[in-house]
Order: sequence, then C-alpha cells, then structure tokens
Amino acid sequence: MPAEPNLTPIEKDKLQIDPDFDFRDIAQRPFHDVKTNEIGMFKWTGVYHQLQKGFFMIRLRLPGGLIQADQLERAVQLAEQYGQGQLCITTRQTLQFHWIRQEDIYKVLEEMENVGVSSKNACGDVTRNVVTCSLQGVCPHELADTRKMLTAIADDSELLDEQRNLPRKHKISVSGCGRACGQTLMNCQGWYPVKRFQEEGDEEIGWKYHAGGGLGARPYMAKVIFDWVPEELVCDVTRAATEIFRQKGNRRIRAYARMKVVVDKLGAHGFGEAILAQLHQWQIQGLEKIEAASHSEPDVGDMFLDGQTLIPQRQQGYSVVRIMILRSEFHVEDGHRFVRWARTYGNGEIMLTNRQNLELRYVKDSNVQSLLEEIREAGYPTEGHEHLPDMVACVGTTQCNLAVSDTPNTYRALYAELASDKALWEEVGSLRIHMNGCPNSCAQHWIADIGLRGMREQEEEGSSEGFGIFIGGKLSGGGHIAEHLCDVSSEQMVSVIRQLLEFYVENRKNKKQKFGDFVREIGAKSLIQKLGPISGKKEPLNRKNLKLQPAFHAALIESSVHEK
Amino acid sequence: MKNNENHSIQYAESFLREGKNDEAIDLLRTPGPPSDGCICALLAKAYYQRGDARGDMYACHYFADRALELGFNKKWIYTIKAISAFRKERYGEAAETFSKYVTAESLPANQYLYGLALLYNHQPNQAIEWIDRALNIQPNNKLFIEAKEKAQKEVQEKGGKAECKKKEYQLGGFNDKRQAGVPTSYRFNAVSILKGYAHQPKDFDWLEKNIPCQQGCPAKTDIPGYLSAIYKGQYDLAYRINLKDNVFPAVLGRVCSRPCEDMCRHGWEGLGDSVAICFSKRSAADLTDKDPVVMDPWYPPTDKKVAVVGSGVAGLAAARNLALMGHSVTLYEKHNKPGGMMNQGIPKFRLPWETTDREVQQIQGLGIDIICNTEIGKNISLQHLIDKHDALVMAAGTFRPNILDLPGKELKGIRHGLDFLLESNETDHATIGEHVVVIGGGFTAMDCARTAKRLGAKMIHIESKKDEEVVPGSILYAKKDSVSVSYRRSVNEMLVTPGELDELKHEGIPMEFMVSPKAYIGEDGHVKAMQFIRTELGEPDASGRRRPVDVPGSEFEVPADTVLLATGQFPDTAWIDDCLKPDLVDTDQWLKSGKLQKTAHHKIFIAGDFATGALTLIDAIAHAKDAAREVDTFLMGKQRMIDVAIVEDAEATGRIREMDEVPRQEMPARPLEQRDLTGEVETGYDQTRAIDETQRCYFCHYKYEIDTDKCIYCDWCIKAKPRPNCIIKVRSLDYDDKNRIVGWQEAKTSEDTNMIWINQEDCIRCNACVEACPVDCISLQKVSFDVVSDDAQKVQNA
Repeated sequence: MPAEPNLTPIEKDKLQIDPDFDFRDIAQRPFHDVKTNEIGMFKWTGVYHQLQKGFFMIRLRLPGGLIQADQLERAVQLAEQYGQGQLCITTRQTLQFHWIRQEDIYKVLEEMENVGVSSKNACGDVTRNVVTCSLQGVCPHELADTRKMLTAIADDSELLDEQRNLPRKHKISVSGCGRACGQTLMNCQGWYPVKRFQEEGDEEIGWKYHAGGGLGARPYMAKVIFDWVPEELVCDVTRAATEIFRQKGNRRIRAYARMKVVVDKLGAHGFGEAILAQLHQWQIQGLEKIEAASHSEPDVGDMFLDGQTLIPQRQQGYSVVRIMILRSEFHVEDGHRFVRWARTYGNGEIMLTNRQNLELRYVKDSNVQSLLEEIREAGYPTEGHEHLPDMVACVGTTQCNLAVSDTPNTYRALYAELASDKALWEEVGSLRIHMNGCPNSCAQHWIADIGLRGMREQEEEGSSEGFGIFIGGKLSGGGHIAEHLCDVSSEQMVSVIRQLLEFYVENRKNKKQKFGDFVREIGAKSLIQKLGPISGKKEPLNRKNLKLQPAFHAALIESSVHEK
Repeated sequence: MKNNENHSIQYAESFLREGKNDEAIDLLRTPGPPSDGCICALLAKAYYQRGDARGDMYACHYFADRALELGFNKKWIYTIKAISAFRKERYGEAAETFSKYVTAESLPANQYLYGLALLYNHQPNQAIEWIDRALNIQPNNKLFIEAKEKAQKEVQEKGGKAECKKKEYQLGGFNDKRQAGVPTSYRFNAVSILKGYAHQPKDFDWLEKNIPCQQGCPAKTDIPGYLSAIYKGQYDLAYRINLKDNVFPAVLGRVCSRPCEDMCRHGWEGLGDSVAICFSKRSAADLTDKDPVVMDPWYPPTDKKVAVVGSGVAGLAAARNLALMGHSVTLYEKHNKPGGMMNQGIPKFRLPWETTDREVQQIQGLGIDIICNTEIGKNISLQHLIDKHDALVMAAGTFRPNILDLPGKELKGIRHGLDFLLESNETDHATIGEHVVVIGGGFTAMDCARTAKRLGAKMIHIESKKDEEVVPGSILYAKKDSVSVSYRRSVNEMLVTPGELDELKHEGIPMEFMVSPKAYIGEDGHVKAMQFIRTELGEPDASGRRRPVDVPGSEFEVPADTVLLATGQFPDTAWIDDCLKPDLVDTDQWLKSGKLQKTAHHKIFIAGDFATGALTLIDAIAHAKDAAREVDTFLMGKQRMIDVAIVEDAEATGRIREMDEVPRQEMPARPLEQRDLTGEVETGYDQTRAIDETQRCYFCHYKYEIDTDKCIYCDWCIKAKPRPNCIIKVRSLDYDDKNRIVGWQEAKTSEDTNMIWINQEDCIRCNACVEACPVDCISLQKVSFDVVSDDAQKVQNA
C-alpha cells in the first residue's frame, strides 16, 4: 500500500525538544555542540540565530506594543552591555536585540523577566505577540476596552502555555474600532468591537470576528466569520479557532501550514461552523448569541492614523506624540531619551507601533510643544507619518538568514534622496512604502501602497541585488493584496520610485485621489506600460564589485603593510 | 578578561592570516560581548575576508564602525570600512572614509578606489585627481585607465533610460502551461523546446543522464512510464507501454537480464536499493487482462514484402515492427514452433510456454505469417527468398555450440547444455547421470544446473582447500548437493542476475568459482571425472572483463558422469547459400558485417544474436528493432521513424519522501519442496506488492527546472533540498560544442551567483523545492524518449 506520511523533521523536533531551554546551560556549551534543530527550537523563547554565526537575535513579547519606561530602560542597558547598543522595533510592536552572544542569551532573558517582560512565544509555531492599534486606550474612536480584551487573549494560558505546537505561527490582532489601524485583515484572527442598539434603545457592544488573513510568501486577506460575538465568548472563540488550526493545519508543507490556508479551504462559513462545533464540544454556553457573518467580505474603515504628528487623546487635556524612528533602529542614547521623555512628559508608557515608530502618551497639551522641540532637536522626524518618510523595512541581508536584499541600505538611499524632498512627498500625500528583504512579509510589503520585495536578478556574470515592486495593497474595505509592477535593481530604486510618484502626481484625477486608489484603478499591468522606460540603469553593481575584487584585495594589503 | 582578550587577539590574528575566518570569529567573541576596539577590528576583518555581500559586508562594516568608535584607528580598518561601504553602494561614505587616510603618498589601489568612490558619488573632477595619482604609479593598469575614461565621460553623461517591463515567463512555475514547439530561451535550459517533440543533442543528453534505467535498457523501454502506470493501477497501460518498447513484456518480466536495475537512481550510493523493475514489469502482465494485445499499426500498408529467417526473439521483434510499419512479413522457422530461445533454451519453471505463446500470438495477430518446420538453405534456398521479397532479415540466432577442445572430448556423457535444455523442455525429460558437472557462468549454465537437479542428479563431493583460503564468494565444499556449476571467473564477473545466483544457492546447487577445466577423464569410453585447475583473475581483456589465469599445480578432479557445457555458442552460417557467402560470411564463419544490421547485400539485414553473438533477450530485441528501422528506411527510401524527446507539462506526482524508505519487495516463490521441472518457481507480485514496489520509483522522467527570469534567489529551495548537489548556486555552467551541459562552476558569494540551478542528475524528484519556492518559479515537466512516425512529430510541434 502507498507509504504513509510520517512527521517531518521539524514536526519531530517540535514533539521531542522541550522549547523551554535552560539558557544558562546553553551558555556553557560550545556553539558547534548546539544542534541545528535545538537552535530551531530556541525560537519558542524568541531567540533566533542571526546571519552572523554565533550571534543571536532576541525578540521580546510585548502584548499590544506597550512598554513601560522601566522596562525599556532595562532593555537599553542590556543592549549596551550585550547587544552592541542596538535595538529594533518590529512590525508586531515589540523589541529586538541583536548581536547577542550565545553565552549572554540567558542574561538578557533573565534581566528582562525581572522587569516583567518575557520573550516566551515571541517566535515559533505559537500564538505570536498579540497586536493592536497603537492608539488603543487613548483613541477618541475606541469603542471598547481593547487592552482588557487583548490582555485576556495574550495571557490566556490555553494559548500561551498549552497551544505551543501549532502547525505554524499564529497571529492575532485586537483593535479598538472598525478602522484599519490595527491591521485586522492581515492576521490569522482579527477582532474589533462593534456597537449596536437593542430594541429598548440601549447600546450594546460586541466583537466582530475575522480569520484567515496572513501575509508571508502567499498572502491572504481575512474573511468575516462572525458579525457578532458577545464579549464573554471572545476568548473561547479565539481558543476554538486555534484548536481547529492545530487539528487541521498542514504539518507536511510549511508553506501551506498557516491558518489562512485552513480558512481558505473550509470557507468562512465552514470555519465558523467548525468553531461552533468545537465550542459545543467544550460545552461552552451561550453560543446562540454568536451571529454568523452575513457576508464574508470584510468592510474595514480607513485608518484614522494618517499623517498626524500628535493626536489629542479622548482623555481631555492629553495628547499622543509620535516619534519616527528611522529604519526602526535605535541605540543606547536614543533609548535613554525615550525613557526620560516618557517619564517627564508622559505617563511612563511607550507605545511601539506597527510602523516601527514610537508614541508617547498622556503628554499634557501644555507640554506638547516643548516635547516636540526636544524631539526635533535630538534629530527625530516628527512629520511625514503615513507619508513617504515613514517607511517600514526589515533588517534584510544585514542580519536575517532568509533575506536576499539589503533592505536597510535601500531604505537609507530612499530616505536620503526622497524624504529630503519635502515638496514632493507633501504633494504626494499619504503613502506607505514597505520594504522586505525576502518573500516573507515581516515588513508587510503586500499591504503597502508601494511594497518592495527583495530579489536578485540574473546578470551576464553573477547576479545583482534588487527588489520586485508591488503596488496598491491596503487593509481597509475588503483589503487588497499589492500587485507586482516590475523588478528593479537596488541602484535603480530611487529613480524608479521618484518616477512612479511623479507619474502619479501628474496623472491623478485630483488631489483627493490617493496614491493607492490611483494605482489600483489603473492596475499594475497597464501602469507599467504607461510609465514607459525607467531611468537610471547603470552597470550592474555585482559586475562592478566582481571586477574590483583585485583592487579591494590590493588596497587592504597596501594599508595593512603601510601601517607596519 | 583582559588576558582572555589578548589571548584571543593573538590567536585570531594567526587564524586570519591562514584564512580561517570562522575560527577567528569564534575566538574573538569568546571573552565577552565585543567591546574592545581591537576585537571589533579583527571581527571586521574576519567578516571582510569571508566576503559575501549577504551578511558579511554588513557585519564587517558594522564592526569596523564599532572599532573606530572604540578608538582603534589603524589604516586597514578604514580600508575595510570604506570598501564595505563601497560594496553596498554607499559611495559618499566610502569616499569620506578614504579621505580620512588616503594621501598623495598612498599606494595606488587605495588612491584608485578613493577615486572610484568619488566617481560613483558623482564627483568626477575630484575622482580624476586620485585616479591620475594611481596612474602615475601604474600607468598600464587597465582598471585605472578604464576608470579615468569613465570619469571623463561622466562629466557629460546624463544617465540612460532602461526599458523596464514585466517579464513574460517562459518556463514559469509549477502550474503554468507552456506553448508547444517554442524553443527555450536560454542555453542553460535543460531541453531545447518548451513543449512538444525535441531532438537536439541536449534533449537526448537529458534523457541519458536523467533516466538511467531507460538508458541501461538496450531496448530503451519507458520504465518510469510503466512503473507510474502500475502504481496507479493502470496495468493495461503499463503492459502496452512495455509492449511497444520491448515486445515481450511478460517474457522479459521473468527472464530479463535487468541491466536497468543496475542503473536505477534509487540504487545509487546512499539512496538504498534499486527498484525491482523486472518484477514490476511482470506484475503489469500478470495483473492485466489476459487477452492478446494487438497493436495498432504505425503506418498504412506499403505493399512491401519482407522475409525473416528465424522466429526467436530477434526475428519476432523485427517482424513485429516491420508489420507495424505497414510491411507484409513472413517468418521462416526450422523448428516446429516459434519462440527460439524462449521456449527452447529457457526451462519452463522459469518461463512457462503459455507466456511465450501468448506474446507470440500478439505478433501473429498483426497478420504475420509464420512458416514452421522450414529450414532455409535446406527446404528453400536463401536466394529464392531474396528474390521473392523486397528485403530479408536473418535472425538465425546462435546454434553452433562451443565445444571445449580438451583431452577426452570424444567421451560419452559430455553434451552441450542447450541441447540438454531443449530436450528437457520438449519432453519434460532428459537422460542424465548421477554426478553432473556444469561448466559455464551464464544463464544457460544456471538453467542446466537447476534442470539437472530437477531430473534427479545425485550427490557429488569435492575435496579441496580449507575455507580460509577461499576467494570470497566461492563455494568450495559441496556437502550435500547434487549438481555443481564450475566457472573460471569470480562471481563478480558472471553474466547472470544476482537473483539467479540466489536461486541457485536456495536450491542447494554449489558453485565453484575460479576454476578452469583442463581435461575430461574417462573410463570405458564414458566420462568419469572432470579435471580442473584453479585460476586467478588477471588483467581486464578487450571486453573489460578480467581474464582468468591458471594457478600452477592446483589441478584437481571432480567425479562426473555427465558434463554439461554451457560455454557459449556462435552463429551458424553454414546454411547460407554458397553464392551469397563471399558477400556475407568471413573465413571464421562469422558474418562480415560484424554487429551491424546492414550487410554488403542491399536486401539482406541481420537481427539479434546472429549478428552480435549470444547476448541477452533484451539485447536481441533492441538490435532487431534497429534492424527493422534499417529495413524500413531501405524500403521506403527515407527514415520514417524518428527518435524524439517528448516534453510535456505535468501534474504533481503525489510521491512523498516516505516512499523512498519502502524496502524493495521480494519476489514470492514456490517452496523448495514443490519445485519441479515445469511449475513456475516465481509466482509474481500481487497488486499490493506491485504498488508497494512501484511507489519506490522516483519517476526520473520528471524534470524540475527553475525559471531564472522568475527566480529571486531566495535560496529557500536550497534550504529544503535533500541532497548535497541537487540544487546548486552556480557561477556558470559548462557546455560542449552541442550546447549540452557538461559541468558547473559553483558560486562562492551571492554576488557571483549567476543562477540557482537544479542539477537534475542528482535530483531525486522529491518535490521539496517546489513546496519551498515562494514565487512558484520551479516548473514540472515530463520528458520521455520515444520513437515516433515522422507524421506524428509534425502534428505535435505544429
């Protein structure tokens, strides 16, 4: 009879290796003694081996992106001591250390635990850091107590402690209202509160439930599963969906393992039925109050966040002040500044956003200007949020094992050339550029107005680094996956993006037609034809560099010898 | 800590001098988080020397910066920082870094790179200054000269425009459909067209390298084709695929010499055991409908008449293909029934007559006339046949026995093995003594021994040397056996299948290797013993087999009242008309035309053993098929049947890696006590075994290929690959003058990676790359060999 499928090596590791490592013990072992599959399982504690052998990245778990000044302060100290002073903000609203030696992993983990921050389930085939809209808790549009709900889900022991062998990573978003700020549609499970009036005229709050979104190499937008879930059943539904994912996710092929594929296969209705059946089996009461979706097509509102430097909070007299962090990276000095500002001007909380920036909250209106002055003086941009300067980028080939292209380098080139052209980007208006070094979508290129995805392109000799350009992605309405426009080498990127933006400015119907609407209307196929030849093709970088190898070699010998 | 650091620095420097960069990195990060200028500088150097654009350039730049920050300011660290910035296109930063230490007194490479950084940073005038300085020191340096020219041009240049359009992928991905008859775009493409019938040298080269079993089969049977049909339970289809290529599927499923299995990819080193192709082939015949299958003709009737002399496998195969080509064929057979070796030389317990009869009937079903009991040269002259037909194929086999010319050869009790087998096959009996010695190491010897055993030969006893002196694989003591087989070479040199030796052993027949017969010893005119001498293997002879050499003084005798000689046989050309002999026959009685199908006589062609000498059934079939094509070309004045590589889009095979772990399925056999002269020993696979076995086939006719226009070089396929060399990053491929890929140059860094390439020779068709590919750039197609009519080819590529 045909051979039966067996567990894949990764699935075997997940069963056989306890993900809760004793990193004090790991510190004692020589690197070559630590097996590759053990390193693979480090992820369950947020520990990744970075591209440079022997150095690790540590990702923290910060539900909803909120970190206290004390916690950030400790992270900054640890980065200084063990991580070359570098910290990164991720698109799932948490922090990453880099350059951590194997011997120092436990020190970072234990010290962060001491200030109440864990890295458990920050990576791996588990429920990842639960995300929310950055204005959660202070937003004038927030309908319910979002933090309470997201904390209940994030700290739910079924999800956090029990479901640690899911087929693949699992992502949840809990937003404060039906707008797109919380990225509902690109998560495996997405919740937001909805309001309705009972017959007696009383206001009633429930939660609308989406599932099956996810980016990665094969993106899907979430579908509406339930129009209405009473607050007390939200956690149960989340758990049941997770359990169905555990049972039905494809454990043979990781590329097809995520919940998005399960939902796609079962359909929105089928997935909803499966959830209800699971809840029924668990003897959860009150299921009749859950209302299945009338349409599976979502209808998410536009983002409220759209270029503001500061946002008046719903709490009278307070504002949120936004600080743009270039390429999501900050260093010791920056960290100490943020801590001080949060303490001095705000309530000691720092919100890490999905655009890899920071928000200080509860800044008294009277203090806003002086804070802004300090921020500007220290050199952080405060303008251009959700506009060209506010780009999202991953670490690319600088540190990531999967990356093909050097995203930070392209980020810097674009920032230097285009963000400085304020006239241009102000004219362009709202624009979200996301760039990703590989086909995965950590930097979410699929949902950006302009998304770059790393690639190399064959040249006569060797290959050169570049990006595929994708256009027109969005997370509002029913969502839209960005379409492939063309492939461009890294060295052409600045001129091509400029050309694209200038084309938009010249050809849009009016100033109200946003870039995203414009390109979606034209479509990628037609746009590339209309755009015509693209400027700036030079000799491929690779060929230059390959040809120059002897000169590089000679130069280093010269300076080494000369020194003696 | 400081001591540790100094220690690390000292050793790391020496590692770096030796190019042991990883070791240096390990050492440098041991004392603590890098926070010392010198440590960071050496880390920078180590990553710089590793040198990949991916990761290393960033790391060396990062640590060079850190080193400078921490006060380490030797020149070389600036150089590293500058070059890494340069390589990342940060020319402004590179120029600024060079400016920190490059002076008018510096050496030329630094001055040149400084100039180049300025040039790329759009400061051509300043660039020229520095390039000139370098040129002053090395006026003939081509790089410098070129850079100066570029800088001078740069002043006027405004930057060109490049056409940028979305690529139209040709090979595309897994589920894409391709257009027939369109040539592939690149030299590195595995085959010459996207889809359809291909016949460039590279196409046949692909088949040869990628479908080793089919390459091993002289008749070029589409083995993966029929194995995949069996796996799907399509036994009739599997049988028909076989039938087309090897004419006698049920026969060969029993007695083929299985050269394909020696070549099978599954049997390659580290991949397990080859697929039991032969047993599987038999299962298709066993499990399909038993009615004769008569093939549809390839061409309409031609009115050409062909005579075939001899109705053994070669004669029948040639006749069948000629009939399919539309010719009218008559077969002449001197024996009372067609089949040749199949029913005369192979015992029924290995190949039942009804199996042969059925497959002969299928050939007769094409309208071929088989005239038995007719000996050409005796009943009818060859010349007469030639005159009556448009062409004639001689497929008379090998019937001239090789009688060992040894002292005592006239003694009674010595007979040729083939005679013995024919007698026992026809009468189910043969006269035999008690002590039988069989001499020879081929199929006939094995068959003689097993037949003699069944006819009741009694025990023999050989006195010989001690066990420990025995050549590995030899059986010197025959403790309670009845028949022995002697062979002058070792087991490795024998022309039989391993399974057959196992059967011999299983049936308790000892083999004596590395002995050579010296004389027949007689008494009263009858043989009573055989004298042997021990041999050892000498140098390989012209055929590549190692020649046995006598070991002096090692003579010994084996009692024998019957000696069966299975020492080969030759073509018998005596029957050929004398008037035709000068054209056809050489002085040694072999054919003048050698192994060729054509002869000096334009109407006479040769098929099978009659040309090649005694080979295997499958060799004879292959030779006969070629003979039929030669005859057809002669009759029709053009080559009508054409070799092609058929390229088709394919669906996922559904194989899973676990199938590779399934053990090779044994052939079920009759228990020893039930074995007799006529009952078939091997009973064949049932459906379960047939599926268990055929699922092991990799289906090597599938071609996985990366569309380089679509590939983004993410390496995810490389991370998923099961074999070290199945997917490789290559700098370039090597080609011969016919565009066949003959080798590759592996890339060392991401910059010099020209493509990610599936090395199909090493590919085990596991589909893991397709599953891992995030951009769906790996195509799956089926490429198979076939011989088709010229009309079919036109239609396919139209």
